[in-house]
Amino acid sequence: MHRLARLLCFVAVLLGAAPHAQETAERDFLSRVRRLTVEGRRAGEGYWSPDGQRIVFQSEREPGNPFYQIYALDFASGDTRRISPGHGKTTCAFFRPGTDQILFASTHHDPRSKMLQQEELDFRASGKERRYAWDYDPEFEIYAASERTGQLTRLTNARGYDAEASYSPDGQWIVFSSMRDAYNRSLSAAEQKQLEVDPSYFAEIYIMRADGSGQRRLTNAIGYDGGPFFSPDGSQVIWRRFDAQGLIADVWMMKPDGMNQRQITNFGAMSWAPYIHPSGAYILFASNKLGFENFEVFMVDIDGRKEPVRITYSDGFDGLPVPSPDGRRLAWTSSRGGGREGQLFLADWNHERALTALKMAPERK
Amino acid sequence: MRSKSLLVLGLLLAIASPDAQTVATATKAHVDFLASDKLEGREAGSNGERLAADYISAQLARIGARPLPGRADLFMPFEFTAGSRDGGSRMTVGGRVFTVPQVRALSFSDDAEVTGQVVFAGYGIVVPESQNFGYDSYATLDVKDKIVVVLRYFPEDADQQTRAILARYSDLRYKAMAARQRGARALLVVTGPRSPNAGELVPMTSDTAIAGSGIPAASVTGAVADALFAAGKPLRDVQQELDSGNPHVAGFDLAGVMASITTTVVRERKTARNILAYLPATSPNVTADKAWVVIGAHYDHLGHGDRGTSLAGRDEAGGIHHGADDNASGTAAVLAVADALAKFAQPRRRHVLIALWSAEEIGLVGSNAFVSTPPVPLNQIAAYINFDMVGRMQDNKLAVQASGSSPVWGRLLERANVAAGFDLAVQPDPYLPTDSASFNQAGVVTLNFTTGAHADYHKPSDTSDKINYEDLDRIVAMTASLIRSVADAEEAPLFTKVDQPASRGGTVAGLRVTTGTIPDYATEVKGLLLGGVTGGGPAEQSGLMKGDIIVEIAGQGIANIYDYTYALELLRVNQPVKVVYMRNGERRETMLTPAARR
Repeated sequence: MHRLARLLCFVAVLLGAAPHAQETAERDFLSRVRRLTVEGRRAGEGYWSPDGQRIVFQSEREPGNPFYQIYALDFASGDTRRISPGHGKTTCAFFRPGTDQILFASTHHDPRSKMLQQEELDFRASGKERRYAWDYDPEFEIYAASERTGQLTRLTNARGYDAEASYSPDGQWIVFSSMRDAYNRSLSAAEQKQLEVDPSYFAEIYIMRADGSGQRRLTNAIGYDGGPFFSPDGSQVIWRRFDAQGLIADVWMMKPDGMNQRQITNFGAMSWAPYIHPSGAYILFASNKLGFENFEVFMVDIDGRKEPVRITYSDGFDGLPVPSPDGRRLAWTSSRGGGREGQLFLADWNHERALTALKMAPERK
Repeated sequence: MRSKSLLVLGLLLAIASPDAQTVATATKAHVDFLASDKLEGREAGSNGERLAADYISAQLARIGARPLPGRADLFMPFEFTAGSRDGGSRMTVGGRVFTVPQVRALSFSDDAEVTGQVVFAGYGIVVPESQNFGYDSYATLDVKDKIVVVLRYFPEDADQQTRAILARYSDLRYKAMAARQRGARALLVVTGPRSPNAGELVPMTSDTAIAGSGIPAASVTGAVADALFAAGKPLRDVQQELDSGNPHVAGFDLAGVMASITTTVVRERKTARNILAYLPATSPNVTADKAWVVIGAHYDHLGHGDRGTSLAGRDEAGGIHHGADDNASGTAAVLAVADALAKFAQPRRRHVLIALWSAEEIGLVGSNAFVSTPPVPLNQIAAYINFDMVGRMQDNKLAVQASGSSPVWGRLLERANVAAGFDLAVQPDPYLPTDSASFNQAGVVTLNFTTGAHADYHKPSDTSDKINYEDLDRIVAMTASLIRSVADAEEAPLFTKVDQPASRGGTVAGLRVTTGTIPDYATEVKGLLLGGVTGGGPAEQSGLMKGDIIVEIAGQGIANIYDYTYALELLRVNQPVKVVYMRNGERRETMLTPAARR
């Protein structure tokens, strides 16, 4: 996956000795928990349409393709339709406000993509298992698809993984993560080795206009910078930054011009996938604070002055929390439905309880 | 009187409010009636079951469902063995005559009178060659035309691995078959002095099979065994040698011992009724591709719980087992879905067959009767959708089982659940202890809905006041929409054969111990989640309770119900074992002492 990438490899092996859920605590914030996706091996990364009527997500459900494709689900009809081309790998979709466009990252232009699908299918058929690993395929490029015409517009054209993109609230800008820095210059021997081991080391946050023009780098720190989203008023960008070893991650914020970069959490764990609640008052994110293999959703006040508050209580993986535009529902990815793989879940979100809990949370140590 | 007034009430409501409220109210009325004292637990073949069937039939008629083509009414009667008792078996050995209760026929015994020389065949176990595990109690014996005596169960002192294998072939039906295949005239079973229930007779189970095993078979007491073994080594010593599990310890002729045995089994045959009706397709273009969708639930329950599967505690034993959740709830759901489909006649290319089964509780007998003499061709059934215990929803959790039976379920469930909004636990396994399994065996696509087991499961306390009607109605709405999709789809769902997990070869009949746990089938966790514990049982005594997750027992890791069943085979009566479990996220340990299962 991607907005979380290597994390998923832990998800795959996790679910080991998981503690039992204390659902009553979860019910403080989440009610009427329901499972949104069922079809296919796994699904995740659900992002709301601006009117809250639809959700776009990635799912491994296309016959003959063992990789994610992008789908949009309509809450009124229950209908789900594919947005992406159907072959190759895709990830991380987002609705463009005020338009019929949906962006996502895809490798379908890669002439090898169908061959790679077959290779993966053969590998699975052989019965072998590999540790799940997001492969940061350097072919990933960002596309915008028009739902009306079906036309795909390629927005990036740089070797190296370009993905994890999202629009500004006015639909004019895109922030995204790219590993192009590993390919557009000559690397030292140490860097070359690093690239082979873990290319995400080179990932940085970039911004561009919605038509792909004016691409500009915003971050410049070793370690995986990824998963950027605009704040509800468009004045800030929130993202997560890994350390060089890729074990510790924290939530950061900056202005869309890259200024005023500041660390929000200091949670001493893998804290990632931050998303700002529409009220602007707090941030939802995922962290493995409670156990390397046990990701839970947390929230923290917008300035990170308080200790984060735990939201979910279930075995295995809970992450990628995304509140609805009206702030009353929460979509997230969870393995609570059983098995190893995540699916999309939805619940009613108690915003008032969240504010109270944040108020009562202790000051950050 | 009471049933009549309820019927009238249902009719009035149906007329009064033709909206969703009708469904809700009707659902509760169905459960209230079916689970009432008047129906006495709806045991298959009983008067209560007949009243239930009459009620259901009247409801279906009200809804507008018709008898199946070529039939006059909605009933499909079938015969079954409700129980068996010994009709006066006797045995003569060395001039001494033994009768009941020194000797008793096994429930699957043929009726016969035979005389022959007696041969002892150890535990009477033959492990098939395919298992690559050499164990054949008959390897060195000639048992042709002789009466074979074997020990019940399997070697007591063998190592765990050996026990695990032998346990699978220690079912008495297996033993009888092995003896018959080698030409034996009769099989005698004795519970060895070193085994649980030492010297006791094997209870006659309500074996539902119609046919006997093709050989007279009886169990005898320790006293009879002593008479048989009088001339040689005492049975205790003989058993001790065998108990090592060493395959080279052989049986032997009981030199000069002749015996005569007469077996008589009286099988009580009863008639129960499935109820079958249908709503014809409503679309002008009825499909030729599997023109039927079947929805169903069993409506029978345990009566007064006299037959073994009751979990009633001592204080409530013999009381009416109301079966409100199991399965008045599923019956009510099927009636309400049928009602909804009849009322809102969107186009349907397929006919919807509505089936309410009897005799599910004694081994899926009703649904098996349907599958073995199908009133519509099985290859014309697009799917069978079953409801078993859907009335106890908690925390919005709904288990959908057998989803692996077709690739179509993922998409259809996802779509139907967008509006319904359940926290679905989707389980692919179609080998379920409910009627959908009969259809799966017949190659029909299946799906089963359940809200899972609970502390009142198979107890008199499973009453209608504990049913969550609001969520039961939501299940009705969701499944009605799902069934509409299947009924109107251009193509019938594709059947996928799911492999039966290998660790499932063991039979429950081989189990000798009970731990008093009630698994929660609805929630998928790693380990065995307890939906409850039986009152006064070993689990309760060890401090286990509902919500605990057993992750290890006797050193065996437990990932699921099958691991657990498998591990049970290895436990011994009265021998405490360590149980590791999770409670509220905390890993705990306790000692549990398994009790004998009679």
